Amino acid sequence: MVVVLLPGMLAAEAGGEKRFEVEAATVAEALRALLISNLIFDERGNLRHLVNIYVDGADIRDRGGVEAKLTGSETIQIVGAIAGG
Amino acid sequence: MAPVVLVGTRKGLFVLSGNGERRDWEVSGPLLRGWEVFHAIADPRDGAVYAATNSFVYGATVHRSVDRGETWTRAEELGLPEESDLTLEKTWHVEPGREGEDGRLWLGGAPGVLFKTDDSGTTWQAVDGVVGHPTRDRWNPGAGGMCCHSIQLDPDDPNRMYIAISAAGTFRSEDGGESWTPANKGVAADFMPNDTFPEVGQCVHKLLLHPARPERLWQQNHCGVYRSDDHGRNWERLEGNGLPSGFGFPIALDPADPDTAYVIPEEGAESRVTPDGRLGVYRTRDAGASWELASNGLPAPAWCAVLRECTSFDDEAVYFGTQSGSVFVTADGGESWSEAASQLPPILSVEAAEWS
Repeated sequence: MVVVLLPGMLAAEAGGEKRFEVEAATVAEALRALLISNLIFDERGNLRHLVNIYVDGADIRDRGGVEAKLTGSETIQIVGAIAGG
Repeated sequence: MAPVVLVGTRKGLFVLSGNGERRDWEVSGPLLRGWEVFHAIADPRDGAVYAATNSFVYGATVHRSVDRGETWTRAEELGLPEESDLTLEKTWHVEPGREGEDGRLWLGGAPGVLFKTDDSGTTWQAVDGVVGHPTRDRWNPGAGGMCCHSIQLDPDDPNRMYIAISAAGTFRSEDGGESWTPANKGVAADFMPNDTFPEVGQCVHKLLLHPARPERLWQQNHCGVYRSDDHGRNWERLEGNGLPSGFGFPIALDPADPDTAYVIPEEGAESRVTPDGRLGVYRTRDAGASWELASNGLPAPAWCAVLRECTSFDDEAVYFGTQSGSVFVTADGGESWSEAASQLPPILSVEAAEWS
């Protein structure tokens, strides 16, 4: 199973759970399986610009984006951009 | 019933609970932590709270609570059709439907868009007549984006309603929101280089309809305060008569008196602070023919700003909230003001409600 870890704000939107296990062949599949997927993707299905996704610590931008393949044992971490005041 | 004021801020939603005299207030919150609450309102039909919520990371959405903010659900479907070439930027204003229109609400957003729901906010449908309006290429965003911030429903005619967009102007629908006619005659757009009275492009800051006299509309505009007595077909500019400036954002109407309104002017578009170094509310009791300062109890010196969604009325009182995080209330028609809350995050909206 792929583990997906949510930041606090998304966890609050997902019933308070920070950790989910999903079956998915790609990063996109894993993210779209979440109840909060419409906060990660816009209405065109594009990953929002300020949402960062890491797979086993590596930025998915360096691994082919959300279509990157998974073997089924990875940990995906969602991190909102760090900015603001 | 105890008065409640919903205060949307840059950093969540706060709830002010008062007593009958509206002197002592208890502040709770923040709810919806992490979200910018552009507007929150309690649906008078069933008490459900709706919030137009935005995150610079996670986008724009609407939250709903049926237990006074204890728990929230979020819109499942909310977006613009692909053929529009537009994507939703912000949600700005939630307007509950009329009594008897169960489950119906309207939502205004940026870029100049309107949505409708008939299932209490689970799914929202974009209103094609606004998204694809034939004048859209003449609309321009204001400093806050091209926001649809005002939605007013005629209580007497189920097919008539109004929206206002900055900077596109006021639009009226006579067919339940299918088609929209510009309603800007007599409203200036002084910032336009050639035509200062165009068909569209006016920068309305807030539009309100008087519920007891629905042919009467008021607007606080970038270029003056206006009143219409014919459903927005013609507008009269109301200044040079006691207002220190025609520029401002909010306007509040006394539901018991169609001739009484309140505005909170700012110096002007280039200096958006309260005039004369004081927080000043200006009141008219003669439909805008004259205005008087009603500032007893408000701070001075003060260089505040009050945003477009930040005034509200209930049966007993007027409320407003500042960008510097204070909420003020008057229960005597503006003769005296008291501070109901302070040190909140910058306030984006104020709505009075009554919870049984």
